[in-house]
Amino acid sequence: MRRAWYIALALFVAPLGAFAQGPAPAASRSSLGEIFEAANVAASRGDHAAAISDYSKLVEAGVQDPDVYFNLATAFAEAGDYPRAILDYERALTLRPNDGKATKNLRAAEKALEEQRAEAEGEATIQRSSSISDAIYGSLSENSLAVALLLANLLFFLCLAWASVGRRRVRWLYPLLIASGIALLFCAIGLGAKAGLLRNGPRAVALDDHVVLREGPDPRAQVRGEARGGDRGEVVARDGDFVKLRTVSGLEGWTPASGVGLIDPDHSIH
Amino acid sequence: MIRPITLAFIAMAALTWAVTAGAEPDVTVTVDATPGEVSVGDTVQLQVRVRARGGRIQGLELSDLKKYPELEIVSHQTVRPMQFSFGFGSGVQMESSLSDIYVLRPTVAGTYAFAPAVAKVDGKTYRSAPLTLVVRPGMGDMQGGSDLDAGNDATVDSELSGARYDGRAFMRTVVKPSEVYIGQQINVTVYLYTRLRLAPQSVMPGKPSMDGFWVHDDPITSLQSQMVTVRGTPFRAYVLQRSAAFPQRSGELTIGPPKVTFDVGIGGFFDAPERVERVGVPVTVNVKPLPQPGPPDAVVGKYTIEAWLDRTAAHTGDAVTLRIDAKGVGNVQDLRIGLPPIAGVRTLQPAIRDQQQFQNGKLSGTRSWEWILIAEAPGKHTVPPIDLHFFDPETQEYGSVSTPTLTFTSNGAAVAPSSAIEPANTRPKPRIATFGPIRMYSALTRDETPVRERGWFFWLLAFPPALFILIILGTSIARRREQRSATAGAIQRQLIRSAADALRANDPRSFYDRIVASITHALDSHLGEPVGGLPHAALRARLVDAGFDDDLAQRLINELEGADFARFAASGVSKDEMERCLQRTTAIIERVQRSRRNV
Repeated sequence: MRRAWYIALALFVAPLGAFAQGPAPAASRSSLGEIFEAANVAASRGDHAAAISDYSKLVEAGVQDPDVYFNLATAFAEAGDYPRAILDYERALTLRPNDGKATKNLRAAEKALEEQRAEAEGEATIQRSSSISDAIYGSLSENSLAVALLLANLLFFLCLAWASVGRRRVRWLYPLLIASGIALLFCAIGLGAKAGLLRNGPRAVALDDHVVLREGPDPRAQVRGEARGGDRGEVVARDGDFVKLRTVSGLEGWTPASGVGLIDPDHSIH
Repeated sequence: MIRPITLAFIAMAALTWAVTAGAEPDVTVTVDATPGEVSVGDTVQLQVRVRARGGRIQGLELSDLKKYPELEIVSHQTVRPMQFSFGFGSGVQMESSLSDIYVLRPTVAGTYAFAPAVAKVDGKTYRSAPLTLVVRPGMGDMQGGSDLDAGNDATVDSELSGARYDGRAFMRTVVKPSEVYIGQQINVTVYLYTRLRLAPQSVMPGKPSMDGFWVHDDPITSLQSQMVTVRGTPFRAYVLQRSAAFPQRSGELTIGPPKVTFDVGIGGFFDAPERVERVGVPVTVNVKPLPQPGPPDAVVGKYTIEAWLDRTAAHTGDAVTLRIDAKGVGNVQDLRIGLPPIAGVRTLQPAIRDQQQFQNGKLSGTRSWEWILIAEAPGKHTVPPIDLHFFDPETQEYGSVSTPTLTFTSNGAAVAPSSAIEPANTRPKPRIATFGPIRMYSALTRDETPVRERGWFFWLLAFPPALFILIILGTSIARRREQRSATAGAIQRQLIRSAADALRANDPRSFYDRIVASITHALDSHLGEPVGGLPHAALRARLVDAGFDDDLAQRLINELEGADFARFAASGVSKDEMERCLQRTTAIIERVQRSRRNV
């Protein structure tokens, strides 16, 4: 019986070891590194346009790195394009949720946008997402939740098997069983939330100052309302060059895809 | 001491009380309608009342009200006042009454005869006079009921397009026409057909989705109904939504299913209402592109156009207003016209205003453009004709209208071109915010597949529960086998013990019965099948097949044959022989239990 447990443990741990080694380094690392260096030099000189262009090249080349998004967002923010800065800070935080500096800069960009708009229009509010799942799982990355789910799953079923067939009872078995069960549930819900199961579509940020929301995917369709730059929402449908945006306040309508940016890196509008 | 006058008073009061208590109650039952004659759509108050002096009211009913679903109950109120009066002549008088006050809205013209209302007082039944309510046709009926044009034919075709029939209530979406050109108006009307008596204020319609359409809603201010026969069953049809919709692209566009919730079952004061929900079906509209050849900027509809200047002379630098009004049937918000550049005149962006109205099922309106023209050079300035092309879906032909040529003159010195008149759309300067230094190092991580999407994730996730199930199953099977073995062993021991008891009691018949039972049970348990009914030759062959050696098989058969023989010749068996038989049997059974069974 003991041998069977050892085999089971070995079967579980072996792939985790392979996962811990991480992906192979990218083949084009050196050229990407040069672009990154050039972008950093431009940003340090205050040439935000050049910095934005170079960081964007990295993103277009498939780089999904929180530091690159952070720098891109900072370049946008320094250039005064706060909606795009908000989008890229959100992307950086999606990849590295517990990045304190990115969180602080995101709040600073929102505040700067609000002040800018309030100065021009008298008042301003940015619609932010405030779901319970964001509050609970906001500081945890999807991958860490997935690994934690595997470990909690293993621990829970080991405890359950021991409680069911083990001949010797130990005092801590049932508390450990309950704790691992709670951890399993917590991780499963968190992973579902991160994977978008609790949402109607990928998260998005309005990029243009006035994002007009219409009845249909046509520039002549009746206007339902508008979202403002920096407002958060979800893209619930797509039709050609139009997306259907549902804002945090519940307003829903079609708008050109160019006026909306998707936060989640594994989604694209086009 | 009680005075005689007091005694007399008490006696009189007691007598009065007795007389009053024994008297018949004075009961009046009435039914009134105010007014007695109404039009369809108007409200009428129906009061059913019972008044009883000296009795207890037990019930009041106007049963015929349920007979007429055409009389919609707008409200229902029950009033039960009670009063007491004291008098020397009549003693204590209790007067109570019960009133049901209904506010009804007739939906169908006709004469409604009500049988008398029935009241029950102190177990006796009292009736009112009958009542007749006359309902005249309303204005809507006389005009043909434009709200209910789809149901106005009073009979809906059996195909029942745009609906999923339900015997109690269903939704229907009527789209007219269902094949149009892009930009052509369709009328969308959502009906609720119901046989239920609904509370109008509880009706909560949900709009169907109309993606791909520009929609103009004609608000429904009051919920009106009309009787319509569907598949031979009378329904009341309510209009819940009426819209003019203009498709914005060609192809098949879908109008989503409408939805409605409403309460029914408010006939009685204490009845709990039932919440009913109904969902309709989606309806498809086939949208065709405009016929070719035709002007590329043509809009759908039929329009006239007018243009004028607010003055024909101005100083250079002063503004002249050019106004163009396009008026007609169609969606005026589709109209686009542009003013070509005019030499020596600066033109500001136009102000655009729309006025729309929805009448007789057609959306029409006026779109007005107002340009401010500023002459920067003196002389005569000409506003060229502006064309508006349209496609009239009724005649299936393209048409065109143009504004006349307009002129105005400007006097004075030339004005230098300026851009300061138009409000500058300057963007506020960004606030100087500190976003911290950029990051000089990055892993430049490429797009990685998340852990949850990797192939091994699912298998690792499924492995612990699968292993757990296997462990539970294996343990369960092992336990069951152990339990069965333990049970079989216990029975075996019990049979041997009872054989020993029979031996001590010197009861050969019982002893050999137990011996046979013990051997048979041992074989049954070991082979997993009953062997008691097999002839000895067949049993021997079965034992050999099961892996028993010949010696053991022969010994078992011998012992069974010997025991069978001894059972029927019990008197000739000695106690010593029985003891030896018991020892042999015990030894044989141990050998059987030790031997392995062939699978």
